[in-house]
Amino acid sequence: MNATPNADGRRALLLAGSPKGLKGTSYELGRFLLGRLEEGGYSTETLAASAAVRSGEASAVLLEAIQDADLVVVSFPLYVDQLPAPLVAALEVIAGHRRLLPSRKPAKIAAIVQCGFPESLQNLPAVEIMQQFAKEAGFSWAGALYMGMGGALGGRPLEKAGGMARNAVKALDRAAASLLQGRDIPAEASTLMARPLVPKWLYRFMANWGMKQEAKKHGAKKTVLARPYESAVPGARD
Amino acid sequence: MNAVILNGGPGNGRGEVCRAVRDAASAEFQSRGWSVRTFDLDGLTIKPCTGCFACWLKHPGICDVKDDAEEYVKAFVASDAVVWITPVTFGGASSALKKALDRTIPSILPFFIKSHGEIHHPQRYTKRRRLLAFGTLLSADPEAESIFRNLIRRNAVNFVPLATETGIVYETEPPQAQAARVADLIKAVGIGERRPQ
Repeated sequence: MNATPNADGRRALLLAGSPKGLKGTSYELGRFLLGRLEEGGYSTETLAASAAVRSGEASAVLLEAIQDADLVVVSFPLYVDQLPAPLVAALEVIAGHRRLLPSRKPAKIAAIVQCGFPESLQNLPAVEIMQQFAKEAGFSWAGALYMGMGGALGGRPLEKAGGMARNAVKALDRAAASLLQGRDIPAEASTLMARPLVPKWLYRFMANWGMKQEAKKHGAKKTVLARPYESAVPGARD
Repeated sequence: MNAVILNGGPGNGRGEVCRAVRDAASAEFQSRGWSVRTFDLDGLTIKPCTGCFACWLKHPGICDVKDDAEEYVKAFVASDAVVWITPVTFGGASSALKKALDRTIPSILPFFIKSHGEIHHPQRYTKRRRLLAFGTLLSADPEAESIFRNLIRRNAVNFVPLATETGIVYETEPPQAQAARVADLIKAVGIGERRPQ
């Protein structure tokens, strides 16, 4: 957790939804947006959803941070078409708490979703779930940014990702400018964020090549297609 | 033929309707001569997938984390039908069901192929199965139901089942109506007719 005090009084919380915690592409996207909000006068705080659901004490810290926030940004990778399990668990805790205790102030919530598939539209079910969470937990929905080809960023800070991240940077800048003015994430920011980082054919080629290289590095080149549980399949032959 | 049932409902009183769906589904399969394996996920130790990709690139097909998920993945790849049961949670799966779904990553390959006009991961195993997803809600909620049905449609693109059906069961319905919904869906997914007693 890190908290940055600011005289402006508005508070933004980044809830990092990756099971990897405070690292990786999703975290870097959220961190970038939070930095822009901080420059604009927000005081900021960052929590990892996976850590927040490990104990009652950690959950209490999360709930307190949620209560204090004027804006919550949830940034996460797509896992099996929706939110990673620890983030779902964190949202269950938050929604359960907010059903029992009214929030201290109206708060907005926004989402940043990225996936390893080239098509940014594959993130849309997760965006819908976040919007439904906002409704059920009493947040005002401030919109979402979603991108495909997240693997191309490889967990690097956007500042070090070069030209391929230019649309993502523009999108986050425009989203931040709008949020700082008390408005929602504009459609043009979502459109920019959804643009491919590189041509689709190139991403697919590089991803497949990269996977083969990684398997080779780990001595798994010949076993990468293995079916270790095939014996459990009745009548199956390896 | 064998079915695997994943019950993602909470283990406490709030999970009653999920357990009712579980029992009704189990009875329907058994009445057709199927064997059934049930996993009540809330009571199992299933740690979250950390996205380390060791199951793709270090020891392919086997997760780095050793816990109750391994048994489920083994049962899943051998199944002829898989049943997901979950309280509809913001339109999606509960954290209990989602933990299990996230840990099925060893059953797919790391590579990218084109499927349904999009890029997806191929299946590691050739066996296919029927997929039934039951979401439970206190009462009708068209928005949450629509999100849930859309999500399962997307899941079906990635899991490549033989057939997929999605049903919603309401807590406020009488038990007979809940069981009838389960029976209708099992029939709709092509499991076949009950065997004569």
